[in-house]
Amino acid sequence: MSVSLKANDNKPEPIAYSEAALRNNAIVVEYCRTSMSALSGSTAGVLGLTSLNGFAFYMFAVIILWVMFMIKAGPNWPKYYVSRQSILTNGFFGGLFTYVLFWTFIYGMVHVY
Amino acid sequence: MSFPRVLLTVGFISLFHSAFSAAQHRSYLRITSQEFTTLPLDIVIQAVGSLFAVMWGVMCIAGNLREIQAAAELNNSTWETQMNLPSFYIFNHRQKALSSEYVQTSGKGDLENPE
Repeated sequence: MSVSLKANDNKPEPIAYSEAALRNNAIVVEYCRTSMSALSGSTAGVLGLTSLNGFAFYMFAVIILWVMFMIKAGPNWPKYYVSRQSILTNGFFGGLFTYVLFWTFIYGMVHVY
Repeated sequence: MSFPRVLLTVGFISLFHSAFSAAQHRSYLRITSQEFTTLPLDIVIQAVGSLFAVMWGVMCIAGNLREIQAAAELNNSTWETQMNLPSFYIFNHRQKALSSEYVQTSGKGDLENPE
Protein backbone atom coordinates (compact mmCIF):
# COMPACT_ATOMS: atom_id res chain seq x y z
CA MET A 1 0.00 0.00 0.00
CA SER A 2 2.67 2.42 0.98
CA VAL A 3 4.63 1.53 -2.15
CA SER A 4 1.73 2.52 -4.41
CA LEU A 5 1.29 5.77 -2.51
CA LYS A 6 4.94 6.52 -2.99
CA ALA A 7 4.64 5.85 -6.72
CA ASN A 8 1.78 8.32 -6.85
CA ASP A 9 3.85 10.92 -5.09
CA ASN A 10 6.67 10.53 -7.57
CA LYS A 11 4.47 11.43 -10.51
CA PRO A 12 5.28 14.86 -11.92
CA GLU A 13 2.69 17.47 -11.19
CA PRO A 14 0.41 18.05 -14.19
CA ILE A 15 1.06 21.36 -15.92
CA ALA A 16 -1.86 23.53 -16.94
CA TYR A 17 -1.43 25.06 -20.38
CA SER A 18 -3.26 28.08 -21.63
CA GLU A 19 -5.41 27.08 -24.59
CA ALA A 20 -5.36 30.51 -26.22
CA ALA A 21 -1.59 30.83 -25.96
CA LEU A 22 -1.07 27.36 -27.43
CA ARG A 23 -3.33 28.19 -30.36
CA ASN A 24 -1.59 31.53 -30.90
CA ASN A 25 1.82 29.84 -31.02
CA ALA A 26 0.55 27.15 -33.40
CA ILE A 27 -0.77 29.86 -35.74
CA VAL A 28 2.59 31.67 -35.71
CA VAL A 29 4.46 28.44 -36.47
CA GLU A 30 2.04 27.52 -39.25
CA TYR A 31 2.36 30.97 -40.84
CA CYS A 32 6.15 30.78 -40.86
CA ARG A 33 6.10 27.24 -42.20
CA THR A 34 3.81 28.09 -45.13
CA SER A 35 5.88 31.15 -46.02
CA MET A 36 9.07 29.11 -45.74
CA SER A 37 7.68 26.43 -48.08
CA ALA A 38 6.72 28.98 -50.73
CA LEU A 39 10.00 30.90 -50.46
CA SER A 40 12.30 27.89 -50.45
CA GLY A 41 10.33 26.47 -53.39
CA SER A 42 10.98 29.69 -55.30
CA THR A 43 14.66 29.55 -54.40
CA ALA A 44 14.92 25.92 -55.52
CA GLY A 45 13.31 26.93 -58.82
CA VAL A 46 15.77 29.78 -59.26
CA LEU A 47 18.69 27.49 -58.52
CA GLY A 48 17.39 25.01 -61.09
CA LEU A 49 17.41 22.00 -58.80
CA THR A 50 16.01 18.80 -60.23
CA SER A 51 14.81 15.49 -58.79
CA LEU A 52 16.17 14.49 -55.38
CA ASN A 53 18.29 17.62 -54.98
CA GLY A 54 15.08 19.63 -54.69
CA PHE A 55 13.71 17.44 -51.91
CA ALA A 56 17.04 17.58 -50.11
CA PHE A 57 16.82 21.37 -50.33
CA TYR A 58 13.35 21.22 -48.75
CA MET A 59 14.73 19.18 -45.85
CA PHE A 60 17.51 21.73 -45.50
CA ALA A 61 15.01 24.62 -45.41
CA VAL A 62 12.83 22.86 -42.82
CA ILE A 63 15.81 22.32 -40.55
CA ILE A 64 16.95 25.94 -40.98
CA LEU A 65 13.47 27.15 -40.01
CA TRP A 66 13.54 24.92 -36.94
CA VAL A 67 16.93 26.29 -35.94
CA MET A 68 15.56 29.82 -36.39
CA PHE A 69 12.64 29.02 -34.09
CA MET A 70 15.03 27.67 -31.50
CA ILE A 71 17.19 30.79 -31.76
CA LYS A 72 14.13 33.01 -31.39
CA ALA A 73 12.80 31.14 -28.34
CA GLY A 74 16.23 30.92 -26.76
CA PRO A 75 17.21 28.58 -23.96
CA ASN A 76 13.83 28.79 -22.23
CA TRP A 77 11.88 27.22 -25.11
CA PRO A 78 9.61 25.13 -22.77
CA LYS A 79 7.88 28.40 -21.95
CA TYR A 80 6.61 28.63 -25.53
CA TYR A 81 6.41 25.11 -26.98
CA VAL A 82 5.22 21.81 -25.57
CA SER A 83 7.83 19.88 -27.54
CA ARG A 84 10.65 20.77 -29.91
CA GLN A 85 10.24 17.76 -32.18
CA SER A 86 6.66 18.62 -33.05
CA ILE A 87 7.80 21.96 -34.50
CA LEU A 88 10.19 20.09 -36.78
CA THR A 89 7.69 17.51 -38.01
CA ASN A 90 4.26 19.18 -37.88
CA GLY A 91 2.83 19.93 -41.30
CA PHE A 92 5.84 18.48 -43.11
CA PHE A 93 3.92 17.04 -46.06
CA GLY A 94 1.46 19.92 -46.29
CA GLY A 95 4.43 22.22 -46.70
CA LEU A 96 5.99 19.85 -49.21
CA PHE A 97 3.06 20.28 -51.61
CA THR A 98 3.32 24.07 -51.43
CA TYR A 99 7.04 23.71 -52.00
CA VAL A 100 6.64 21.55 -55.11
CA LEU A 101 4.07 23.96 -56.54
CA PHE A 102 6.40 26.96 -56.27
CA TRP A 103 9.44 24.93 -57.28
CA THR A 104 7.93 23.79 -60.58
CA PHE A 105 6.42 27.21 -61.29
CA ILE A 106 9.61 29.22 -60.76
CA TYR A 107 11.73 26.57 -62.48
CA GLY A 108 9.50 26.92 -65.52
CA MET A 109 9.65 30.72 -65.41
CA VAL A 110 13.44 30.96 -65.03
CA HIS A 111 14.92 27.94 -66.75
CA VAL A 112 12.45 26.77 -69.38
CA TYR A 113 11.12 30.01 -70.91
CA MET B 1 9.89 51.11 -41.19
CA SER B 2 11.04 48.53 -38.66
CA PHE B 3 14.05 46.31 -39.18
CA PRO B 4 12.22 43.04 -40.10
CA ARG B 5 10.20 44.85 -42.78
CA VAL B 6 13.37 46.29 -44.30
CA LEU B 7 14.93 42.83 -44.21
CA LEU B 8 11.84 41.34 -45.89
CA THR B 9 11.76 43.95 -48.66
CA VAL B 10 15.48 43.76 -49.36
CA GLY B 11 15.35 39.96 -49.33
CA PHE B 12 12.49 39.84 -51.82
CA ILE B 13 14.21 42.29 -54.17
CA SER B 14 17.43 40.29 -53.91
CA LEU B 15 15.56 37.04 -54.62
CA PHE B 16 13.96 38.56 -57.73
CA HIS B 17 17.32 39.87 -58.81
CA SER B 18 18.93 36.45 -58.50
CA ALA B 19 16.02 34.97 -60.51
CA PHE B 20 16.66 37.48 -63.29
CA SER B 21 20.39 36.75 -63.14
CA ALA B 22 19.70 33.03 -63.51
CA ALA B 23 17.39 33.64 -66.46
CA GLN B 24 20.01 35.82 -68.14
CA HIS B 25 22.70 33.23 -67.52
CA ARG B 26 20.44 30.65 -69.10
CA SER B 27 19.84 32.79 -72.20
CA TYR B 28 23.57 33.52 -72.47
CA LEU B 29 24.27 29.79 -72.48
CA ARG B 30 21.60 29.30 -75.15
CA ILE B 31 23.11 31.98 -77.39
CA THR B 32 26.63 30.64 -77.05
CA SER B 33 25.23 27.09 -77.41
CA GLN B 34 26.86 25.74 -74.26
CA GLU B 35 25.50 22.99 -72.05
CA PHE B 36 23.90 23.94 -68.70
CA THR B 37 25.55 22.32 -65.71
CA THR B 38 25.22 24.58 -62.66
CA LEU B 39 24.62 28.24 -61.97
CA PRO B 40 27.54 30.52 -61.13
CA LEU B 41 28.39 30.49 -57.45
CA ASP B 42 27.52 34.17 -56.83
CA ILE B 43 23.91 33.66 -57.96
CA VAL B 44 23.57 30.59 -55.73
CA ILE B 45 24.93 32.48 -52.72
CA GLN B 46 22.70 35.46 -53.38
CA ALA B 47 19.58 33.29 -53.73
CA VAL B 48 20.21 31.24 -50.58
CA GLY B 49 21.26 34.30 -48.56
CA SER B 50 18.15 36.22 -49.55
CA LEU B 51 16.04 33.15 -48.69
CA PHE B 52 17.47 33.22 -45.16
CA ALA B 53 16.86 36.96 -44.88
CA VAL B 54 13.24 36.67 -45.98
CA MET B 55 12.64 33.69 -43.66
CA TRP B 56 13.96 35.62 -40.70
CA GLY B 57 11.90 38.67 -41.64
CA VAL B 58 8.73 36.60 -41.97
CA MET B 59 9.39 35.01 -38.59
CA CYS B 60 9.76 38.39 -36.92
CA ILE B 61 6.61 39.71 -38.58
CA ALA B 62 4.49 36.62 -37.88
CA GLY B 63 3.87 37.73 -34.31
CA ASN B 64 5.08 37.18 -30.80
CA LEU B 65 4.99 33.82 -29.13
CA ARG B 66 2.95 33.73 -25.94
CA GLU B 67 3.86 31.78 -22.86
CA ILE B 68 1.83 28.60 -22.81
CA GLN B 69 1.63 28.07 -19.05
CA ALA B 70 -1.80 28.99 -17.79
CA ALA B 71 -0.52 30.95 -14.82
CA ALA B 72 2.10 32.92 -16.77
CA GLU B 73 -0.14 35.82 -17.71
CA LEU B 74 -1.94 35.92 -14.38
CA ASN B 75 1.37 36.30 -12.59
CA ASN B 76 2.00 39.63 -14.26
CA SER B 77 -1.32 41.28 -13.36
CA THR B 78 -1.38 43.63 -10.38
CA TRP B 79 -3.43 43.57 -7.20
CA GLU B 80 -5.68 46.35 -8.50
CA THR B 81 -6.57 44.29 -11.55
CA GLN B 82 -7.26 41.15 -9.56
CA MET B 83 -9.43 42.89 -6.95
CA ASN B 84 -11.52 44.90 -9.38
CA LEU B 85 -15.02 43.74 -8.50
CA PRO B 86 -17.68 45.85 -10.23
CA SER B 87 -20.47 44.35 -8.14
CA PHE B 88 -19.11 46.07 -5.06
CA TYR B 89 -18.83 49.56 -6.52
CA ILE B 90 -20.56 52.17 -4.30
CA PHE B 91 -21.73 55.42 -5.81
CA ASN B 92 -23.92 56.77 -3.04
CA HIS B 93 -22.38 56.84 0.37
CA ARG B 94 -23.42 58.59 3.55
CA GLN B 95 -19.98 60.04 4.05
CA LYS B 96 -20.70 62.83 1.56
CA ALA B 97 -22.83 64.44 4.27
CA LEU B 98 -19.61 65.28 6.08
CA SER B 99 -18.35 67.38 3.15
CA SER B 100 -18.34 71.15 3.57
CA GLU B 101 -19.94 71.60 0.10
CA TYR B 102 -22.84 69.30 0.87
CA VAL B 103 -26.31 70.66 0.14
CA GLN B 104 -29.02 68.82 1.91
CA THR B 105 -31.99 67.74 -0.15
CA SER B 106 -35.41 67.24 1.30
CA GLY B 107 -35.34 63.53 1.67
CA LYS B 108 -37.49 61.25 -0.38
CA GLY B 109 -39.58 63.99 -2.03
CA ASP B 110 -37.00 64.66 -4.74
CA LEU B 111 -37.01 61.07 -5.82
CA GLU B 112 -40.78 60.77 -5.98
CA ASN B 113 -41.56 64.08 -7.72
CA PRO B 114 -38.84 64.84 -10.22
CA GLU B 115 -39.32 68.14 -12.11
